[in-house]
Amino acid sequence: MGRYLLRRLLLLAPVLLGVSVVVFLVLHLSPGDPAEIMLGSQATQEDVARLRAALGLDEPLPMQYARWMRHVLQGDLGRSIRMRQPVLPEVLIRFRATLLLTATALLLSTVGGVTLGVLSASRPNTIVDRLSTVGSIFGASMPSFWLGLVLMVCFSLWLGWLPASGMYSAHGGGGLGDLLAHLVLPAITLAAASMTIIARLTRSTLLDILRQDFVRTARAKGLVERAVVLRHALRNALIPTVTVVGVQAGYLLGGAIFTETVFAWPGVGTLMIQGILARDFPLVQGCVLVIALVFVFFNLAVDLLYAVLDPRIRYE
Amino acid sequence: MRRNRIWSWAILALAVMLTAGAPGLPAQSPSTLVVGLVAEPVGLDPAQVTDLNSSRVGRRVVETLVAFADESTQIVPGLAESWTISKDGLTYTFKLRKGIAFHDGTSFNAQAVKFSIERQINPEHPASKLGKYPFAGYFFGNVKAVEAMDDSTVRFVLKEPRASFLAILVAPAASVVSPTAAMKSGQDYTASPVGTGPFKFASWDRGQRVVLEKNPTYWRYPVKVDRVIFRPVTEDQARLTELLTGGLDLIVGTPPDFVAQLENNPKVTLQKQVGAHVWYLGFNNTKKPFDDKRVRQALNYAVNKDAIVRDVLKGTGSISKGPVLPGTWGDEGGLKPFPYDPERAKKLLAEAGLPSGFSTTLWVPESGSGMQSPVAMSTIIQSNLKAVGVNVTLQTMEWGTFLAKLRTKEQDMFALSWMAGSEDPDLVMYPLLHSSQWTPVGPNRALYKNTRFDEVLAQARLVTDQAKRAELYREAQRLLHDDPPWIFIDHEVQTAAFAKRVQGFKLHPSFDLRVETISLK
Repeated sequence: MGRYLLRRLLLLAPVLLGVSVVVFLVLHLSPGDPAEIMLGSQATQEDVARLRAALGLDEPLPMQYARWMRHVLQGDLGRSIRMRQPVLPEVLIRFRATLLLTATALLLSTVGGVTLGVLSASRPNTIVDRLSTVGSIFGASMPSFWLGLVLMVCFSLWLGWLPASGMYSAHGGGGLGDLLAHLVLPAITLAAASMTIIARLTRSTLLDILRQDFVRTARAKGLVERAVVLRHALRNALIPTVTVVGVQAGYLLGGAIFTETVFAWPGVGTLMIQGILARDFPLVQGCVLVIALVFVFFNLAVDLLYAVLDPRIRYE
Repeated sequence: MRRNRIWSWAILALAVMLTAGAPGLPAQSPSTLVVGLVAEPVGLDPAQVTDLNSSRVGRRVVETLVAFADESTQIVPGLAESWTISKDGLTYTFKLRKGIAFHDGTSFNAQAVKFSIERQINPEHPASKLGKYPFAGYFFGNVKAVEAMDDSTVRFVLKEPRASFLAILVAPAASVVSPTAAMKSGQDYTASPVGTGPFKFASWDRGQRVVLEKNPTYWRYPVKVDRVIFRPVTEDQARLTELLTGGLDLIVGTPPDFVAQLENNPKVTLQKQVGAHVWYLGFNNTKKPFDDKRVRQALNYAVNKDAIVRDVLKGTGSISKGPVLPGTWGDEGGLKPFPYDPERAKKLLAEAGLPSGFSTTLWVPESGSGMQSPVAMSTIIQSNLKAVGVNVTLQTMEWGTFLAKLRTKEQDMFALSWMAGSEDPDLVMYPLLHSSQWTPVGPNRALYKNTRFDEVLAQARLVTDQAKRAELYREAQRLLHDDPPWIFIDHEVQTAAFAKRVQGFKLHPSFDLRVETISLK
C-alpha cells in the first residue's frame, strides 16, 4: 500500500510535466497574440512590438517555456499578462469557489444518481423506473448552459425564489444561508448530466447483481428486501459507480467553466475564460496546472477507495 | 465509530471552507448602488488598462486635468481650473485647483501631474517599471517634457503642435494618481488605485465585486450615494434577471435582442445615447477595383444601413455619414448618409467598367471591442453587395489574428470600428485616414490617401481656434464623402437599463459611466 502510494505520487511528475507542455503549446500555437488583443485597434505596430518585448513574447518558444518552468518549479506561476497580478494567489482564491461548486455538484449527482438508480433497479419496469429513465435521457441530453438559463428564468425571474448570479448577494447577506441560496441553481445545473449517468449505471449494475446467486441466498435466508438491496447488492454494484464518479469529478471540474460563466460564479472557470479570450498565457497555464493537479489527486483517491468498498482488492 | 469520525471531519472541513469563503460584506444600505458590468475590470489604473469595463470603474477614483462636459465631449476644466496655450501651440500651461487632496491624504499638486505622465513616457522614471503603459506612445508620444513650475502650475511642452492635445488630456491614461500610493503599492497599484475622484477604492473580491466608497470631501459636489458596487455578470440573461429582480440597480451593454423587452418593462428605464464611435467597412484603397472612387461610392449606395440598424442592432446604432459624430462642433451638418440605392450603385459600377460586378473578400472579426455584432452585420452587407453583382466571400477570424492580418496590407475589405471617446475630429480622422498613418505604422488600415484631405487635416492640427478648426474639418468631411475611404455604417448607441430608484443618471457620449451623478430614491 505504502509503496503503491509512493509510486503513484512519483508518477505525478511526468503527468504534470506533460500537461504543462501540452497547455503551453496549445496556447502559444493557437492564433491570436496577447499584446495585439490587449492593445486593440488603436495600437501601432511599435506599441505592439514594445509590449511583446516587455512580456517576453518575442523570445523563441522553448526559451519562454524554460523560463516559465523555472519559475513554476520555484512555486511562482508568474504574473498575469492582462491583470498584472501574481497568478498563484489569484487561482487559489478562485479555486475555492470552484471546489465548493464542484464538490456540491458531485455530492448531488452521486447521492441523487445512486438513489434514483436503486429506486429504478429495485422496481424495474414500474412507473418509478420509467420516469427515472425518461428523466435521465432528458438530463443527459440537455446542454448545461441551456439548462442553467431555463432554471434561472424559472426560479429567479418568474418565481423569484433564488438569486440568478454570483456567490453572495451584493447588498448585505454574506452568511451561510446566502451562500447556499446562490449555490442551488449552479450546483443543480452542473450536476444534472452526471446524475443521470450515475443513475443509469447504478440501475444496470444493480439489476445484474440482483440476479446473482448470493442475492438469492440472502433472500432465501429470509432477509427483508431492503437489506438485500442496500446491504448486499448495492455494495457490490458500487465499484463501477465509483469509477464513473471519479471520471465525473474531472468532467464536473471542466463543466464548471460553462456553469460558472452562466451564473457569474467567481470560480477558476470564469477566470480561465477571460484568460483564454485575452490569450493571457501565464494565467491560463496556471489555472490548468492547478486543475490537473487536483484531478490527478482525485483519481488517486478514487483508486484507493476501491479497497474500502471491496476488501479483496489489494495494491502492490 | 470510525465512520462517525470521518463524517464529523468532513462537516468541520465544509464549515471552515464556507466561513473562510465569506468576506466581510458591507451592511445593506439604501444608499448602495449596485452596477452590473459585462466583464470584470482587469485593473483599476486607467493608464494601464485598455478595456472599457476597467476604465469605467477606474475613472470613478481618478481624474484628469481637463474633463468632458456633463452631456457632451466638449472640454471643460477638471483638476486644472484654467490653462493657456502658447502662440506656437507647443506649450500648454495649466493652473491647478488648490486645496484638493488625494484619498490617501497627500495633496494634489503639479509634482503629482508630472509623476502621472512621466511614469508612462520616461523609461528612467522610478515608477516606469511598475506597470505597462500600453497607450503611452499613442497619447503622449508627442510630449517632450512635463514641468512643475510651482506647486499649482504645470507646463506641458510638445514636440510638435497638436490642436487636439486638450482632448488627449481627458483620456484615461492622463489621469492623475497619488505618487505616494503608486510608489508604495508598486506593481500592485493597479489593484488599489488612489486619486482625487468622487469615489475611493475600498475593496475588490476577485470575480465578485469591486467596492468603491464615496469621497466625502469631493471638491466638485457632494456625492449622494455612499457606496457603489460593480459586479461582473457576463451572461446577458443573468444580468437582465438580476436587474429585474433587484439584485442589480443598473446594467450596461444591453444586448440588442433585449432592448424591446426592457423598453416595455415598467420596472426599469432604458436609456440610449449615441457614443463617439464609428463602425465602418474599410476598402483597401490601393487595390483594384477599390482605387476607383466610383466603385467605393457605388458600394456605399449598395448597402442598406437602415436594415442593419433596425434588424441586427435593434436601434443600438445610428446610421453614419462619415467618421465624425453628428451634432458635434466639427460635424459637417450639410452632408447626408449615402441613401440605399442599388440602381445607382449598379450604374456607378458600370461607369467604372464593372457592369457585371466583381468578386472580393471581406475580413470580419468574430468579436472585439466596439465591434457590435460584426458577423451578422457583415452578412447583411454581403447580401446587399451580391444584389449589385459584387460577390463577397466572408472570412471570419479571431480578434487578435484579425488585427495582425490587417498589418499585412493584403486585405480587400474589412469590418472595423473605432472608439475615439471624444468628439474632436482629429482623434478619429487623423489616425484612421491620414496617409502618414498607413498600417503598420498607424491605424489607417484602409491605406487611404487623398492629398487635399491630408493637407487639411495637417493644417487643422496647427490652429488652436476651434471655429477655424471646425471649418477645416467640414471641408475634410466633404472630401471624404466624395472620395469615400470606407462604407460608412453606424455610430454605436450605448444603452443602460436601471431600476426606478436610480435618479439622475445620464449615459455619456465618451462611453464613460458617470455613476457619481446618481442619487437613490
